[in-house]
Amino acid sequence: MTISTTDIREKEQLISGSEAIAIACAMADVDVITAYPIRPYDTVMQFVSKLIADGTLSCEYIIAESEHSQFEIVKHASAVGARVFTGSSGVGWFYAFEALAVTCGLRLPMVAMVGNRALDDPGAFGTEHNDALAVRDLGWMLRWVDTAEEAMDAAFMAWRVAEDPRIYLPCAISTDGAFLTHSQQIVQMPSQEQVDEFLPPYDRGDFVLHPDNPITIAPQVNEDWLIEIRRQTDAAMRRARDVIIEAQDDMNRIFNREEEDPFIEEYMTEDADVVLVGMGTLSLPLKVTVRRLREQGKKVGFVRVKWFRPFPAPELQVALSKFKAIGIIDRDYSLGAPQNGGVLYTEIRSALYDVTPRPPMIGFICGLGGREVTVDSSTEMFDKTFEVAETGHAEEPLLWIGVRS
Amino acid sequence: MTSKNPEYDFKWCPGCGDFGVRRALETAISRRTVEMEVAPENNVIIAGIGCSGNMVHLLEGDQPYGFHGIHGRSLPIAMGAKMGNPDLNVVVVAGDGDFLGIGLEHISPQAARNLNITAIVMDNGVYGLTKGQSSPTTDLGAVTSSTPYGKTEDKLHPFKMYLSLGVSFVSSTMSSQVRQMSTIMSEAMDHPGFSIVHIQSPCTEYNNTFELLKGNVRKGIPGLAYDIPEDHDDADWDAAFDIASNDGIPLGVLYRDTTRPTLDQRIDEVSEKVKAKSVASLLDSYAI
Ligand SMILES: Cc1ncc(C[n+]2csc(CCOP(=O)(O)OP(=O)(O)O)c2C)c(N)n1
Ligand code: SF4
Ligand SMILES: [Mg+2]
Repeated sequence: MTISTTDIREKEQLISGSEAIAIACAMADVDVITAYPIRPYDTVMQFVSKLIADGTLSCEYIIAESEHSQFEIVKHASAVGARVFTGSSGVGWFYAFEALAVTCGLRLPMVAMVGNRALDDPGAFGTEHNDALAVRDLGWMLRWVDTAEEAMDAAFMAWRVAEDPRIYLPCAISTDGAFLTHSQQIVQMPSQEQVDEFLPPYDRGDFVLHPDNPITIAPQVNEDWLIEIRRQTDAAMRRARDVIIEAQDDMNRIFNREEEDPFIEEYMTEDADVVLVGMGTLSLPLKVTVRRLREQGKKVGFVRVKWFRPFPAPELQVALSKFKAIGIIDRDYSLGAPQNGGVLYTEIRSALYDVTPRPPMIGFICGLGGREVTVDSSTEMFDKTFEVAETGHAEEPLLWIGVRS
Repeated sequence: MTSKNPEYDFKWCPGCGDFGVRRALETAISRRTVEMEVAPENNVIIAGIGCSGNMVHLLEGDQPYGFHGIHGRSLPIAMGAKMGNPDLNVVVVAGDGDFLGIGLEHISPQAARNLNITAIVMDNGVYGLTKGQSSPTTDLGAVTSSTPYGKTEDKLHPFKMYLSLGVSFVSSTMSSQVRQMSTIMSEAMDHPGFSIVHIQSPCTEYNNTFELLKGNVRKGIPGLAYDIPEDHDDADWDAAFDIASNDGIPLGVLYRDTTRPTLDQRIDEVSEKVKAKSVASLLDSYAI
C-alpha cells in the first residue's frame, strides 16, 4: 500500500497492528529507527520503509547487522536526545538481550514493538509471550494490546511515559504475531494536532549526551553504587503508575477515546460469577465466548491485563476479589514455577495474597506457538473455572489446554 | 537423519538456486558414503536459518544427520558436533545473511583453529526467507525491500575476506553447475581443515542473478562467472588473492593449504604436554 500524508490523517483507517505503530512513528516524529528483519516484527519495518520512501516520515532509519546492534544504536541515539523506535520478535529480541538489560540501568527511554513469537528451537513463528516477558525483572515497562487502534494509542502513550523525566525507562509494546501484526482492523485516527498536544518533545535535560554538556554514561560503579542505582530505577518504575494514569486521562480527553481504565479492561464482569483473565489478542475468542455463554444464562466475564509492568496489582485486587472463581490464561510458560503456572498466573496469585475474600483460582496454559485459542477451548476453560467455583478450590491448579495427545 | 516433521511444508520457489545446491550436496554425500563406507548419518548437516538452511529438511535420498540451528550460529554448533565426535563429517549450510552478516564473527576463530569442517554458503545477495532485505553481499545502491532508495553500504567481498582470515580451503561455484559443485564439495569435505564452498545461488523471487552470472549472448550480457584457469596454483595464496580481487565470479578452487594442522591435531599436540594431576592431589593442595 502507499500512504500519503493526507491518507494517514484520514479519520478512519483499515490497517494492521504493525501499520498502526508505523504510522504512530510518523505522527510522533521519531528521530531514529533501527531494524533487523525477523517475523512477525518485520511487518512494522516494511511499513516504516514505505513511509520513509514516500516522504511521509523523515528520520534516520538504520538496518543493522543484527538485533544486538539494532538495540545498541537506538540506545545511544536516545542518550543524545533523539526520540527512538525499534523492535523485534522471539529469538531476535533475545539476541539483543545484553542491550535490553543495560538500557534500563542507564535510564534511556526507548519504545520497542515486540511482535510476539515463540522462541526457537524447535522453530516456530507463532505467538507466545515469553519473548517480551523475559525482561520483566529488568526495568522495562511492558504493555500488551489487542487491537490495531490500541497498538497506535499504546505507542503514543509509550513515548510519553518513557520520555517523562520522572521515568526515563524503556517501554515495549507486545503485539501478538500474525493475529495483530498482520491483521487489519478499523482504527479511529487521531489528528496530528491531537498527537502534538498529547506528546511533548523528548527533552533529556541535564542528562543529554552533548559536547556542551560533558558527562559520562555507564561508568563502572561496582558495589560502591550499583544498589543505589537499582533503587533509583525501582523508584522510577513505581512512579510509572501515576504517570500512566495521568497520560491516559490526557489521551482520553485529547483523542476523545472512551473513558477507560489505563491498566485493565473488564468485559461483562459486573454481575459475573466466574471470569477468565488474559493478555493480548486472545481477548477476541474470549469475548465471543462470554457473549455465547451469557446467552445460555451463564454469568461469565473476561478481564484483560493491558500493562504487565508496572503490574496492575491494585486494580486486579479490586476487580478480581468479587468473583466466585477466576481462571488465568497464559500464552507463555514458566517451567518449574509454583503450581507449574504460567507467568501471569504466578504474578496474579502473588498480587492476590493479601486480598480478602481471596477468590479460588485456576491457571491455564494455551495457544503456545501460535496455536489458535478457539471458542471451544475458551468454553472448556470457563467450564473448568465453574468447577472451581463450585468446590472452592482447584483440584489441579494448572491445566494445559488444547494439547494433542 | 532424525525423522522429519511431516507438517513442515516449506518449499523453495520455482527456479531457486538452492535446488541445484541440494542435488550437488546429495551427490557429494552419497559418494562419500560409498567411498568411505560410512553410514549416511555419519554426515551431519548443520543448517543456519534462511531459505538456504531449509536444505536440512529438503534433502532427499539417504538421510544424513540434521540439525537446524539458530540464525548465525551454525559454526559454533558445528564445532560442538565436531569436537564431540571428530569422526563425523560436519557440513554447515547457510545463507549469505546468516554466514556473512549476523554470524560473521564466527568465521575468524574457526579459520584460526582450522576446524575440520566444511561450510557451504549459499549466496543470493539477499535475505530471502524474510522477504528480500539487503544482505552483506547485496550490491551498493541496490534497491531492496529495506533499501528503497538504494543500499548505502559497500558490498562485502567474501573471497578476499576468507583468504585474509586464513581459511585453509576457499572455493567458489554456482548453483547451475551441479557437477562442478559436487566435485568441489567432495574435495572440501576431504580437505584437512576449515573449508568453504561459496556458491552463487540466485533467489528467483528477490534477486534473480542467473543471467548476470551465466550471461546471455542474444541480449549481449557477457556473464560474470568464469572458470579459474587450469594453471592456477591453488597453494599460492597471493595468486588466490589476485583472483579474489578481480571482477567477476571465479569458478573453482582458489586456495588450498594442506600443511596447517587441524584443530584436532593441535589439541592432541597440546594434550601431550599436559602434566596429569589427580583429583586427590588437587584436593590435597587445598588442605589447611
Ligand atoms: C536472531 C534472529 N534474527 C533474525 C531472524 C530472522 N531471519 C530468518 S532468516 C534471516 C535472513 C536469511 O538470509 P540468508 O541467511 O541470506 O538466507 P536466505 O534466506 O537468503 O537463504 C533472518 C534475518 C532469526 N531467525 N533469528
Ligand atoms: S525466496 Fe528466494 S531464496 Fe527463498 S526459496 Fe524463494 S527463490 Fe529461493
Ligand atoms: Mg541470502
